[in-house]
Amino acid sequence: MTLALTSSFIADLLAGPRPSEWGDLRKAAEARLAGRDLPTSSDEDWKYTNLKALGNLAFSPAPRAAVDISGHLLPEMVGTRQVFVNGHHAPHASCASAVPAGVRFLPLSIASEACHSLGSLENGAEQGVFEDLNTARFEDGAVLLVPKNMKVALPLHLLFITKADTPLAVFPRVLMVLERGAELELVEEHYGTGTYLSCPVVEVRVGEGAVLRHERVQRDSDEAFHFGTLRAEVAKGGQYHSRTLSFGARLSRQQPWVRLAEGAEVSLDGLALLDDHQVADTHSFLLHAEPHATSHQLHKCIVDGQARAIFNGQIRVAPHAQGTDARQQSRNLLLSESARMDTKPQLEIYADDVKCSHGATVGQLDPEELFYLQSRGLNADDARNLLTYGFAGDVLNRIPVASLRRALRQLVMARTQADSLGDLS
Amino acid sequence: MVMLSIKNLHAEAAGKPGKPILRGLSLEVEAGEVCALMGPNGSGKSTLGKVLVGHPAYEVTGGEVLFEGKNLFDLEPDARARAGIFMGFQHPIEVPGVSNAAFLRLAYNKKAEAEGRDELDPLEFDDFIHEKIKLVAMKEEFLDRSLNEGFSGGEKKRNEILQMAVLEPKLAILDELDSGLDIDALRVLGDAVNKLQRPDRALLIITHFPRILETIQPQYVHVLSGGRILKSAGKELAIELEERGYDWVLEEAAAGGVR
Repeated sequence: MTLALTSSFIADLLAGPRPSEWGDLRKAAEARLAGRDLPTSSDEDWKYTNLKALGNLAFSPAPRAAVDISGHLLPEMVGTRQVFVNGHHAPHASCASAVPAGVRFLPLSIASEACHSLGSLENGAEQGVFEDLNTARFEDGAVLLVPKNMKVALPLHLLFITKADTPLAVFPRVLMVLERGAELELVEEHYGTGTYLSCPVVEVRVGEGAVLRHERVQRDSDEAFHFGTLRAEVAKGGQYHSRTLSFGARLSRQQPWVRLAEGAEVSLDGLALLDDHQVADTHSFLLHAEPHATSHQLHKCIVDGQARAIFNGQIRVAPHAQGTDARQQSRNLLLSESARMDTKPQLEIYADDVKCSHGATVGQLDPEELFYLQSRGLNADDARNLLTYGFAGDVLNRIPVASLRRALRQLVMARTQADSLGDLS
Repeated sequence: MVMLSIKNLHAEAAGKPGKPILRGLSLEVEAGEVCALMGPNGSGKSTLGKVLVGHPAYEVTGGEVLFEGKNLFDLEPDARARAGIFMGFQHPIEVPGVSNAAFLRLAYNKKAEAEGRDELDPLEFDDFIHEKIKLVAMKEEFLDRSLNEGFSGGEKKRNEILQMAVLEPKLAILDELDSGLDIDALRVLGDAVNKLQRPDRALLIITHFPRILETIQPQYVHVLSGGRILKSAGKELAIELEERGYDWVLEEAAAGGVR
């Protein structure tokens, strides 16, 4: 019975016409999907994340829509943004006039000739159902190409907005290529209203010695389902620093997959702030394929109400990847009796000269810290809220774009009831 | 005027009944006084400090403490702080993600609010705190860092005295201020504490070593052992302890019938 329901879920999403561009890519994805169902809890990778509620809903292709984005503009990023609404490019909301000449920051629909490498990062790794759904049905997305040695001073802004009056499915797609020695900072935001399924796929190529700082903010609606795939390849001596901040969605899953070449430096940080019945799952995979690369991963979850969070951090060090330095930390705060966290480091080390460490903590606020704040005159509630905020603030404080940092701090202060404490910056 | 009156205080570690740490301790402290609480390790001097500020690791099993005539144990730890009791801890806690400056301003404003004074906005507080950090010779960068996070032992102590300067307590209890401090830092912080001393403020200096009392000179020295005060005298007692250690006090007390 379950089988019939779930297979029709995927078939229904594929029922519409196949978009004409990237036909081969889409056919291949459809072929892989043909025999597949939505994953169930008997699938080890989906043991803690139940998709039944998703399977019970039907989502239609998303129509074009107009939205007001004025509340989401960031002053550092005037004239460097591309906006997509319901998966379609929104030319009137977008403005790329300040993007420096030489940098291509365009919708995929008008830059298709530049995107021959789209989908090529899937090689060598198994695609998930939601990634394949995206490949089969994405309408549009962003392409970003930064030429050799170009250092882009202004951060770029990518907004994916969903406005769902009835249940909709959207498949945002991004391809970013930084050529050798290029430098860029990108803010990618997802938000929306109503019930929808969003399955973004972001492909990143960081060239030799290039540096990409990538902030990812998920503020989807409380009724949304978000399944994000990130595939990044970091070439020799390249740097990729990403931070994924998950606040919204009824159920979200992030699957970052990063391959590090020789001497690459990667940081992959995450913060999830959950309440009510929210579920947030992160399954990350870091592949140290070559020697002397460094990866740092700090993942934090604050779980309240009856919410639950899942972290599975896989790190694989290939046999010849000597001199690897990989550090992973999963730190989690449970704020209620019924909140739940499942965290699992998964290290596979096939080289012998490596430094690899991991640590996981799940707990409540530290009574010694609470007392310290109380001993300075803060009442018990204020002390708790301040510490909860601080737990998240630790990640937020590292966001380089000041206005985004402020906005997210305010969001977190409101969610942790720390807003009554005044300005904490 | 008696500010703090401790009568026959008994306390034990929470959850460990039957092993009393304080066993009938009595002490009076007047406004304007500087008192040293000394004693060998395990004598109960730090416990006394923590009991006074309401640390949850300890449970009071008997006796009474009045602060300005009111029962101290009626107040939660935060209310004691707002009433004017401050403890500078031996091992201050690190709080990641909360900037030192924001925390200091918050603590200042909570106290100001309780006393019906005007709160300071971030700009006003900025001016205020820049005067205060001079007193403890703290570098400005420590204001922007997370509260005590990654601070050295000495920097944490500096931050404790800065908090004292910001909160202007009536009673300040300084627990092992000298531990983790080099000789120069100890002089700076000792001088800062001396500058902060006023006729309406009392200081309780908890220390194992008499060295700090060369800078912060007490009027009274109380020697604790086994959870009560064995001997009280003027500051000359500190000098004698420096020379002779603690054993003779314990022996003298034993001879006098105190067990």
